[in-house]
Formats: sequence, structure tokens, C-alpha cells
Amino acid sequence: MSGQGPAWAILLQKVFGLQGNYPNGLLAFVALFFIYLFLIVPGAWIISYVDRKLGADFQARVGPNRAGPSGFFQPLADFLKLMQKDSQEKITTSDLLWIIVFSSALYSSVAVIPLGSSFLMVDTDLSAFIPFLSALVLALGTMLLGFSRPTVPGWFGAIKVAGQAFSGAFPALISLLTAGIRSGGFRWSHLANSQGASPMDWAAFSNPFQFLALIVFMISGLVMMCLPPMEGVVLPINMNGGVTAHLYGRRWAIFRLGRFYASFLWSLVASVLFLGGWQLPEQVNDLLSDSLILKQSLESILLLSKTFIMMLIVIWVSRVNPRTRVDQVTDFAWKVLSPFALLALVGSAIWAGWGLLI
Amino acid sequence: MSFSLFGERLKTDVTNWEVGPYHLSLPGPIRLSLKLDGEVIISGEVETGFLHRGLEKCFELHSWKSAIPYADRLDPEAAVFGELVYCLAVEEAANTLVPPRAQAIRIILSELTRISCHLANAVRIARAVGAETVLHYLLRDREKIIDLFELLTGARFSLNFLRIGGVRADVTEGFIERVLDVCDLIRVRLKEYNDLFTFNHAFLKRTINVGVLSPALIKKYGMTGPNARASGINADVRKDRPYSGYEILDFEVPLGRGEGGTLGDAHERFLIRLREVSQSIEILKQVTEGLPLGEYLTPTEDKAVPEGEAYVRVESSRGLLGCHLMSLGGTAPHRVQFRAPSGFHLQAVPELITGLKLEDLSVVLASLDLSISEADR
Repeated sequence: MSGQGPAWAILLQKVFGLQGNYPNGLLAFVALFFIYLFLIVPGAWIISYVDRKLGADFQARVGPNRAGPSGFFQPLADFLKLMQKDSQEKITTSDLLWIIVFSSALYSSVAVIPLGSSFLMVDTDLSAFIPFLSALVLALGTMLLGFSRPTVPGWFGAIKVAGQAFSGAFPALISLLTAGIRSGGFRWSHLANSQGASPMDWAAFSNPFQFLALIVFMISGLVMMCLPPMEGVVLPINMNGGVTAHLYGRRWAIFRLGRFYASFLWSLVASVLFLGGWQLPEQVNDLLSDSLILKQSLESILLLSKTFIMMLIVIWVSRVNPRTRVDQVTDFAWKVLSPFALLALVGSAIWAGWGLLI
Repeated sequence: MSFSLFGERLKTDVTNWEVGPYHLSLPGPIRLSLKLDGEVIISGEVETGFLHRGLEKCFELHSWKSAIPYADRLDPEAAVFGELVYCLAVEEAANTLVPPRAQAIRIILSELTRISCHLANAVRIARAVGAETVLHYLLRDREKIIDLFELLTGARFSLNFLRIGGVRADVTEGFIERVLDVCDLIRVRLKEYNDLFTFNHAFLKRTINVGVLSPALIKKYGMTGPNARASGINADVRKDRPYSGYEILDFEVPLGRGEGGTLGDAHERFLIRLREVSQSIEILKQVTEGLPLGEYLTPTEDKAVPEGEAYVRVESSRGLLGCHLMSLGGTAPHRVQFRAPSGFHLQAVPELITGLKLEDLSVVLASLDLSISEADR
């Protein structure tokens, strides 16, 4: 039944050349598998490789250079190695709890991520809030990881992770609302269509308050999910870094993949909210109006490029800067990020209202 | 549990936590028994001795000359100072004269070691605050100095180069030029470190007003070296009791001024070490330019040192390093004792860390530049 159903289902049927009537549930399953296998895993691979190579360049080192050409297969080699190692300790209920919460919170949001005008599996009025909730649950998973350790530093780390997550959540939420004020809704399609292809038509550059909101959104996301450079709380060098100090092998791989996905998700959402999303120039859109697959591919490539650039900027900053103490991070989130987020919200509201009045 | 936004603190319980003897954020094998109220340390005890090797006893079992490699092991990172203080003590007990050229070579080695140790300390501080980039720059430049050691002595760490009455060999060809090159390089790099790290906002927030050593505390625990000078105490053996020809050199002893935050905080200790690096470069330039000609070793056979005692002190990279030596007139020392600065610094740790936030502990310990090897010996 090509030509009916939601856009992503039609697209998928076209991509695979499917004829006939397939239930949307089955297609959604294939789509999730597709996204995970051909987007998340290679993305983690490439970003991890680029991170290590760039980091090596910053630090006057060579970086990975053995596995494959210029060490390109190093992330794969590491992954395979980690998969072969596992803790001698039996998996306890509390271990299981964090693993389930940590991974399910993140991977369930794969269905929500926007990848282009035709690839929006969940495009509801609350779409933009779902990654935000996933981020909070990720923090919960990290906290449970700390509590799964029968040690003082484990518990300390867990409480601090929770404290940091809450402090980051408030400004993140407010800046998310700021983006919604401009677009007039929280549907992915709304958010993206309110922006244009040219940077001057991106939300971030449409007015100073939106730009402020972008900055706050990015930083507060890092704070909320304890990602670099705000990950002082989970660093093993820290006296209370008991959250991750014991992790290795498969559990470490789960933790690392989760953290990659978290930063990927957040950068992707930031790109859609503030950086024009997947919007191609009008001329290109007209040219490609007949070819759905090509248009969708170009949109995805554009969106992913923006996402990766955002991630690289964060990597750059985190590679060269020291880590601040967790109370300094939460202080910063409450006393600096939050007021700026509120300023952006009020400013954007006035700006939008002014526009309507005139 | 009570919590109020205005003034009151979150009520927390007291927890005990034992860190070590092996932990990433400790300077070496020590055990800290901490009592924590929330994340604030309310008391802490330090247990040492995990690296005790009976080093002082080893000296008694070897001849005067063959004990020198043991002095290397006093503090392997700053091997030259152990050798120097031991050789100076034997020379004083035996009334041996050291040729001026050998003295100059000793100063070159001492100051190179000082630079290398201070850079290594900056690496530890960088690691404690999670700054991974500057750490590699520091290690890369420290490597240049270790290369110089290799060029001169053939060894990179345990040099075994000093001899009673001088040094083992004359400077190798091209060594002086390489020293000057490294001096020029490090001078440029110091600016780089400052740009990248010293005045970085996040770094300042982690180190300013943290782990403050008051002058009273310094005196109470007999702390010396850069840790004392960062608290404004003007004490440097190179100036107060010059040895090996430091008296003819023109250099300054940097003192803490409390410019960033409080006098004697972790940032001050870090800054003082960087400033000492630039003074060491000055010293190296002067010594290499005026390197005296002549012998590098007064020939002494491995003979008995007359009965008596000697006590000498040198300024090691960590502070006042003393060596007390007793001879009964035999071919081996009767007793050798060291006064290692880190032992004194360690004693101040319990008082210093009281009231500290747990996360600052690793930064404060790194800023003290402790060598557990020399403290335990």
C-alpha cells in the first residue's frame, strides 16, 4: 500500500522496495533497527575515532594508529575487546536495575529522534520533551549505578549525579520552552519548519534571546547528563568518582555507549530546536520534490553534520579545560544558567509578542 | 533531615571512609582514614610506611662509594638531590674538596632536576583537576630534560652520577648547548602553560582558597621548600646556607604574595613552582656560561672516612633535604639519616584537610608535591 500511511512508513517501503500491506508496527520495528544499526553505532564509531584523533592532536600525541588505516578501526577493536571481558562478580538486582534503566531510557528514545521531514516517527505536540525526559532518566540510571556499589564513594557519587541532573534540568527545560515560543509548538515539524536553510533564518540567529537559549540549552544538557566537560562527578580521579571507578568490560561498554548516545541525542535536539534542523534551501527542495529518498537522505546528512559539529565543539572545549567541582557545576547551573534561561524565555516571549502586535 | 534555603545547611550524617593505600588520587601508597560530614572532611588520619624499604640501613651495609646508588632511591623522581646530599655529607666528614667544574655540573643537574620535578608536579595537579591536555605538554617538555640526563649520565632516572669528590664524568659533547636550547624552550613553554592552564577560570576555581597553609602551620610542622615559600616564608637553603657554589649565582627566591586568593593556597603553590622553574633557567644560564675548566673529580680511593659526624642540607625540589652521617672510621658509614621534606609535609596533611570538601582532597594532596618514597624510605 505504497503511498498511504505516515511519511516515514512510505519512505521505508520505498527504500526497501516493499509492495503490499505491512502493519506500521512491523515497519517501526524495522526503522528502529535501521536507525540503531546504521546511524547510532557508526555515529559512535566515527565520533569516538574523531574524538581520540583530535584529542591526540591537541595533546601532541599520535593517537590511535594501529587498527586499520590511521587507526580507524580502533573503536571497533576496543568494543570487541570490551565485549570479551566481564566482571567476575555476579550481576545483582541493583546492577540489573541500572543497566535496564540506563539503556532502556536512552534507546527507547531512538523512536523519537527526528531525522528529516519524512522521517519523524513520533511527531506529537510533546515530541521535543521526550529527549529531555530521557536525559533525566539517564541521570537516574547513572545514579542507580552509583547506588549499586556497596561503597561510600559510590553513594556519594550517586547523590551528586542526582544533584547535578536536577540543577541542569531546570535551565534545559526553560530553554526548550524558549524554542517553543518562537516556533509556536513542540512538534518536530513545527520546530523545523519555523526555521529556514540560511543561518540567518535559524532560530539561534533570529534574535539574541534564542541564541542565549541555545547556549544555555547545550551547557545545561551537559550538566544534566554529566557529560564532558561537566563530568567531574564521574571521573575516577575524583575521590568520589566511585560511580564509574569499578566499571570495565561489557558494563563499561554499555556505560560508554549510553554516554555517546546521550551527547548525540542532545546535540541533535539542539540542532533541530535552534540550528535550522534539516531545512534545505528552497531551490534544492524544488529540485528534489520528485525524489523522496534523495531529499530525505540530504536532509538527514545536513542534520547529522550539524549534530556532529556541535559534538565536536563540545569535545574541543572539554579536551582543553579542567573539570570543575560538582558543587561549582550545580552553583553555575542554578545561579548562572537558570537566570539566563529565564531571561531568554521572557525576552523571547516579548520579542514574539511584539512581532504579533506589529 | 532538615533543609532550609536561608543559611542552614543540609543535615548530614558522619561517615567513615578509608582511602588507600592504593588510589588514583593519592600521591603514593598512603592510607587516609577520613571522617566525613556529608562531603566535608571533619578529620583525617594519615598512615604511612607502605613504601618503607629500610633504605637508611642499606647505607650501613655498603662502602662509602657503593652506597651512592641507594641515595638515588631516596626519591627516584629527584634522584640527584639524594646523591648530592649524601656526597656532600661524606665530603664534609672526610674533608674532601670538590673541584669547581664538578660543583658547576652538580648545580646543572640539580636545577634540571628541579625543573623536571616541578613540571611533574604540575602534571599531577593537572590530573587532579581533570585537565588532560596540558598534562601531555608538560610531560613532553619534561622528557627533554630526561633526555639531557641520558646524554650526560647514560641513565634517565637513577643517575648514579655523583661521586665523592666530584662527578663520574665530564660533560659530554654538545651537552651545554642542549641545556641552553632546553632552557630557551621551557621559557617559551612557561607562557604556554600560563595561557592554557594557570589563568584558566575553571582551574582557578579549583585551586584558589583551597588547602591554605598558614605561616603558623608551616612553622608548626617544619614545612620547607616551595610549600613554605608559597606561604610567604623566605627560606631557601641555596640562599641561607649556600653549597656547591650557589653563593656566586644571581637568582631570586620567589615568594607567595597571595595575589590570586589567600596566601599559601593550592594555586599559590602551583604558581611558585612555575616561577621557580624560570629561576632555575636563570641559574642554568649563568652556570653553563661560566662553566669552570679543570678537573671534574678529586681522586679518592674507597678508603675510610675519619671518625666523626656531618650534617649537610640541600634545597631539593620539595624542600630542605638533610643528611646526617656518622663514621666510626671504617670503610662504610656507621649511620646515615635523612631529613626528607615530604615526611614533614605529610604530617601537616590531617590538619590541612580538615574542613576540606572531599573533591578538593586530590587537588590539595597534589599541590603539596609529596614524595612517599622519601618519606617512608
